[in-house]
Amino acid sequence: MKVDPGELTEIEQDALAEIANMGVSRAASSLRQMVGEQVLLSVPSVRIVTREAAAILVERNNPKRLVAVQQSFEGPFAGRALLIFPEAQSLELVRSIVGDEHSLEDIIDLEQEALAETGNIILNGCLATIANVLHRTMRMSLPSVVRGDGAALFEVDGAASRAQFVLFLYIDFNIKKCDVHGFIALLMDLPSIAALKAIVHDFISAIEKQQSGHVG
Amino acid sequence: MLDNVSDLVFGAVFDAVDIGLVVIDSEGCVVCWNEWIARVARRPAQEVLGKSFYNIFPDARRTRLPAVIADAFQVGSSSILTHTLNALLPLRGEGGGPLLHNIIVRPVSSMHTNYCLLQITDVTVAVTRERVLRERQNARYHAIVDSAPDAIITIDDSRNIHWVNGAVDHVLGYDHSELLGQKLDVLLEPDNPLLPALAESVADQKVDTAISVVGRYKNGKSGYFDISLGHWRADQRDFVTTVWRDVTERVAADAALRDARDALQSTNEELESRVEERTREREIALRQLHESQKMESIGQLTGGVAHDFNNLLAVILGSLSLLKKTIPEDARISRLLDRAIQGAERGATLTSRLLAFARRQELKVEFVALQKLIPEMLDFLRHSVGPNITIHVGVSSEVCAVEVDANQLELALINLAVNARDAMPQGGSLTIACHNEENGKRVGLPRDPFVCITVTDTGEGMTEATLARAQEPFFTTKGIGKGTGLGLSMVQGFTAQSGGAMRISSRPGEGTTVTLWLPRAKQDAKAASAETEIARTKEARHLRVLLVDDDILVSMGAADMLLDLGHSVTEAPSGAQALRLLETDPPFDIVVTDYAMPGMNGFELAQRIKEKRPKLPIILATGYAELPADRSIEFGHLSKPYTSRDLASALDKALD
Repeated sequence: MKVDPGELTEIEQDALAEIANMGVSRAASSLRQMVGEQVLLSVPSVRIVTREAAAILVERNNPKRLVAVQQSFEGPFAGRALLIFPEAQSLELVRSIVGDEHSLEDIIDLEQEALAETGNIILNGCLATIANVLHRTMRMSLPSVVRGDGAALFEVDGAASRAQFVLFLYIDFNIKKCDVHGFIALLMDLPSIAALKAIVHDFISAIEKQQSGHVG
Repeated sequence: MLDNVSDLVFGAVFDAVDIGLVVIDSEGCVVCWNEWIARVARRPAQEVLGKSFYNIFPDARRTRLPAVIADAFQVGSSSILTHTLNALLPLRGEGGGPLLHNIIVRPVSSMHTNYCLLQITDVTVAVTRERVLRERQNARYHAIVDSAPDAIITIDDSRNIHWVNGAVDHVLGYDHSELLGQKLDVLLEPDNPLLPALAESVADQKVDTAISVVGRYKNGKSGYFDISLGHWRADQRDFVTTVWRDVTERVAADAALRDARDALQSTNEELESRVEERTREREIALRQLHESQKMESIGQLTGGVAHDFNNLLAVILGSLSLLKKTIPEDARISRLLDRAIQGAERGATLTSRLLAFARRQELKVEFVALQKLIPEMLDFLRHSVGPNITIHVGVSSEVCAVEVDANQLELALINLAVNARDAMPQGGSLTIACHNEENGKRVGLPRDPFVCITVTDTGEGMTEATLARAQEPFFTTKGIGKGTGLGLSMVQGFTAQSGGAMRISSRPGEGTTVTLWLPRAKQDAKAASAETEIARTKEARHLRVLLVDDDILVSMGAADMLLDLGHSVTEAPSGAQALRLLETDPPFDIVVTDYAMPGMNGFELAQRIKEKRPKLPIILATGYAELPADRSIEFGHLSKPYTSRDLASALDKALD
């Protein structure tokens, strides 16, 4: 039976969105601790798309200049995780995190570091949650900040492009009355996607077993 | 996987690196603590090894460190904690100041044991350098913008004010902080050229030249500003820095200068036009002076010639009338004599016209009612102008009487009618109208009031050139032999001599109007002064007449007439001679003297005689109005040329 890697069943989507929301809420609590104010993060939807499709999705309704915090991860499934914003919104995000007492010039100076740390918190939160939920261990690299359009971020022109897919999560931030919309993208090769799906299935069946056990 | 040698080298390297390295085991205890961290934490390795990290740095429990260290152990995540977002460890630099640092937390595994590596990086230098650079840059920047005399205002693409310099206070009257967050529009009058320029500036992102606008001070007053725009982008947003230069005083000074220049120019123009006007007036005055001098000369010449002719005609007429009496009845001779008399009489008419122009004719001023005189003339006028021309006469009862010589007035009206007829060869209408005129100053007359008689035709009119010469004697537009050119000259002379004036207005194709200004009769003058002809013939009586005339020919003629009338005559060629004769000779009954004589004139003679013989009647014979007007009534009067009958009548009157 041929498995379409781009297809997620409804239940798979729900499960992944659930896991992602657990991850970002973990990140939100870290941010809250840091910022000292209410931070709301949510992942309204999840899809698996090709890198080309992902490149187009991140540019939709946005200027082509994007900024991303990137981290690679290894474990049962491997790849790169990206937190992506329009470049202008990234500064809004930093401004809302570092606070109003900093001038515009200060924020521009701090942007790179602050963005890297913020992205690190969010991506770690997601990846750590996935690892926790699935009871697996992963290794995650340090964050780096990259800039460019969608194609550059997803290395659309790279050699292995056809073989890689993107688990694409929309993410909404709300910090200090500032609304920022971004994306979390997990670039993985086909085996990693298949492994992720298999792990998600295990997760689902474990939950079902748990529920039926409760019922029975 | 290090051997013992490598282990030794690793230990040296571990202590030599310029970052802090701390390894923590899963229990949270410190297992490695390098020289660098020992230095900045002021805790040597032997003091901390084996102790809990959170005992060494109790405040670290309140940071993200416990969570990221736990994650590193549990899920293998690597984290970065920056000084920007976190207050981290209480580390101090060599100088004792706080040490700014970032911490990287990574999981590390060795011999199946998991550890967590903390890398602590000193960023104090970098941060300080950045701050110094920024402060230096800011210092330069503030030195410029804070000392700038112009207001500098930075706005975003929605025209919200983000930043202002201190000069907004004295330029626009606002406190430094008052404008922040407001719209730039509060500083502008509506419909400002700045707003479209700003929109364009954002769209084109180009450097613009200064824009002149009307701005608003805080106190609500308006002022003029030159505003230059500098467009820039930061943080993906558009900003425009506007520099406001207050040019209100310069604009006001320019306006004042412009007004002064305009005023000067208009004064100059006025001066020039006055000079032109004066020049024109002077030219007109000179021309009028020249004209009047010319008329005066012509008048004197004409008057002199006419006077001499008049004397000659007097002789001819006198002689002819005597001749007619003495020569026996013969039809042929009588006819020849009549013709000669007629010719001489026409000559006398001509000279009287010349004298009229020269204002030297004898005027018999009387009370003339125009309501009576003009209608009486109507038949004669109709006859003069012919059937093709209709005559309208309008003399209302309010029109006052005039004091003029009625015969001369009639003659003037006839002249005008004849001129009108000649201007209307195809026929037309002639209108004679009268009205009272109070103010004579309009036509340059010194005394008031007047009656105006206007004679208007519907003829071909006159060009300006013709009009200018119309009053000159001998000027005529009629063919040779058709006119004497004395018509209007006579009218002009008559009105002037009567104390009035004549004005002609005409345009080619629009007819001609001649207006006669005649002095109004005094209220108490009597309408009945129309002279009743004294037609009674005195019974012949013998008079001894002293005849004084310097012209022998005239004297002889007059003597002949007197002898013919049955009187005795003693002739004297001069006043002096006459006085001597009056002394020596038997008493005369009457003196008849010419007026114009060399030495003593007739009037002087008459006065001398009157002194000695107050009762002796004196008759002055004058060819023109050379007699002082007020004195002429003292003596009898005889107009030259005169006939024998005129002479007889004058003698009768004088002796009455």
